[in-house]
Amino acid sequence: MTHIVPLNIEKYRDLKVDGRPAAAHGDSRHFVQVIVGEFSHLLVHYPILFGKHRETGRFFCGAMLGFIEGENQFLQDWREEPEFYRPLSLQRGPFYVHGPELAIDLDDPRVGAESGEPLFTAQGQPSRYLQRIIWAFQDLQPGIEQTQIFIARLLELNLIEPIDIEVEFEDGTLRHCDGLYTINQESLARLADAVVIELFRRGYLALIYMMIDSLKQVRVMARTKNARLLKKTEGLVPAQSARGE
Amino acid sequence: MKPIRSVVIVGGGTAGWLTAGIIAARHQARMKAGGFSVTLVESPDIRAIGVGEGTWPTMRSTLERIGVSETALFRECDAAFKQGGKFVGWTTGAPGDAYYHPLMIPHGFSRVNLVPHWLSGAHGGSFCDFVTPQGRLCDQGLAPKTIAQGEYRSAANYSYHLDAGKFGPFLARHCTEKLRVRHVLADVTAVRQSESGDITGLDSAQAGCIEGDLFVDCSGFHALLIGQTLKVDFKSCHDVLLCDTALAVQVPYETPDQPMASETIATAQAAGWIWDIGLPTRRGIGHVYSSRHMSEEAAREALLGYMGAQHRDLPVRKIPIRSGHRQIFWKNNCLAVGLAQGFLEPLEASAIVLVELSAKLLAEQMPACREVMDIVARRFNEVTLYRWGRIIDFLKLHYVLTRRTDTAFWRDNVDPATVPQRLQDMLTLWKFQSPWFFDELDRLEEVFPAASYQYVLYGMGFRTEVVPEDRAESSSDAAKLVTENARMTAELCARLPKNRELLNRIHQYGLQPV
Repeated sequence: MTHIVPLNIEKYRDLKVDGRPAAAHGDSRHFVQVIVGEFSHLLVHYPILFGKHRETGRFFCGAMLGFIEGENQFLQDWREEPEFYRPLSLQRGPFYVHGPELAIDLDDPRVGAESGEPLFTAQGQPSRYLQRIIWAFQDLQPGIEQTQIFIARLLELNLIEPIDIEVEFEDGTLRHCDGLYTINQESLARLADAVVIELFRRGYLALIYMMIDSLKQVRVMARTKNARLLKKTEGLVPAQSARGE
Repeated sequence: MKPIRSVVIVGGGTAGWLTAGIIAARHQARMKAGGFSVTLVESPDIRAIGVGEGTWPTMRSTLERIGVSETALFRECDAAFKQGGKFVGWTTGAPGDAYYHPLMIPHGFSRVNLVPHWLSGAHGGSFCDFVTPQGRLCDQGLAPKTIAQGEYRSAANYSYHLDAGKFGPFLARHCTEKLRVRHVLADVTAVRQSESGDITGLDSAQAGCIEGDLFVDCSGFHALLIGQTLKVDFKSCHDVLLCDTALAVQVPYETPDQPMASETIATAQAAGWIWDIGLPTRRGIGHVYSSRHMSEEAAREALLGYMGAQHRDLPVRKIPIRSGHRQIFWKNNCLAVGLAQGFLEPLEASAIVLVELSAKLLAEQMPACREVMDIVARRFNEVTLYRWGRIIDFLKLHYVLTRRTDTAFWRDNVDPATVPQRLQDMLTLWKFQSPWFFDELDRLEEVFPAASYQYVLYGMGFRTEVVPEDRAESSSDAAKLVTENARMTAELCARLPKNRELLNRIHQYGLQPV
């Protein structure tokens, strides 16, 4: 259930929110929506792809966090390194915007935690935590629309195509991720000069190449996952031999 | 040498515009360069027949190739998904007598013929469910795809039900705005011919003389060029297909969210059958019957009985069905496409698919000059005559397999005198081997491939004697395919949305181009 109310300082001056990344905090996602303004931060860690909304079939940009539904390979990194870039739509925590105002979901498990961060200072100013949320929304709100406009132009130019991501892991499982899309590089190579200039001037060409470059991260993620799987199996080996003795 | 640079199409119905679109898309580069033109002449007064509301999956590739947006098709032509035909009451007429002719071919069709394995009888259930998920999808009212699958992509093969009255104008906009087709609104008053009989131009009241190198007669029943001008005879097939009249009506839904079928339902009657086609806005229903076996009054009563007495006041349109086709379809520098070629009862939606195949053949084989045209014409005539023959056979197959003896209509239909020799031969052969590859039906673009014959034959309880040893070789492959089909069926049933729900979403959000 959700219970979203405007964030009123009089009423919620003492409210605390646990902003740490955790599986229970909605971070156990393998694909999360992102905006174009984040691409340069994202591309050093995550493959940036297109997905489709389940209800509308419409495209959105997303960062891939794992190979299996609900699996986020980066959760540990986020908890250990506060500076490790975490997509804005997860950074925003239990907050929403309601018209021009910030709103909060009082039923969210992160809200009201004793160990959480205060939202306001003793002077009634937004805390550092809340300030970061406000900044996140300043980027997110226009960013979602900018991203939609970017996607619409790519579609007009036939620059989006499906991508098959298939990875085989050390434990023998074959993982096939479907429903994902990327830049169609053949169409890109065929663009007319005038269109290339237009895309460059709008900043889209840089975004396009960031998406293409970010595909490298699929292999990095697969390696990381394999290394973890190997660690697990190594842990099992002595146990088994111990039984055999 | 007399080059072919200008194609003139007469008639602005579905056939005319589809033909224009298919030719123009194929020759767009030449049209851009100014070396080729496509002109469509249409009378400002004549309204299209617009009965054909069912299509074949070929329509998906046709529309994709000519660059039509599928979202626009759904929104502007009241299009809906069609996943096949459901034939009710054709075999025995007893309650529960029904089978599907789905649009998906049997699973693994190119590798293993599953018919002998199904005939072993160890599995129970219908042939359709044994080999494909599509019958189950229709039973549950599910759509053949999800909103996340782009235009023309699918989870289960599909085609369209559409409002033919809106489809023509929709294609006209696309052809004139995107494909450089010239649209002339004019009444043809006279046809000019050279001494050889070739058509040189069309005199019109509004646009003077319209000249051309190649003429396509899409004038429907008028057969203005192929019949009236070039005097090609019509070959009736009434002796085979006994129905000769249709009564058509459009029935509104009780509520706007009433579930809608994604299959054409054909329900057998005492002297014919009733079609039932679900569009998002209404159902198209019609009674096709033999006037030799039933009076118009009785046919109207049967139609009313089917749709419910509350619809007594809806206007009913009477359409004569003169079953048959031209002796040849291309004569001199003129060919016929659409109803000008011929007409058959709409039992398997063969009318529009034949338009697509004819137009595609012309577009691909477009003669470079008059000197080679007769060679292309000969091929076109040979292939098209073959296609008409096979369609007639296939429609007759639905009748000849009946076990109904309750009325003279059904008894007359199994009279060997009404069954073409070729079909008789095939039926004799199929008692000992089932249709699959290496059968007669092996042409590159067969209207009804062997898979279609399998669905009708074994849907209607036809028996092929199979030697058990013959099955052994492929039995492990077959078992694997059957298991895969069952898994696929469960997976699709769990994941696909309801037919109407998906159409609503397409209207609201559109389908993505990829």
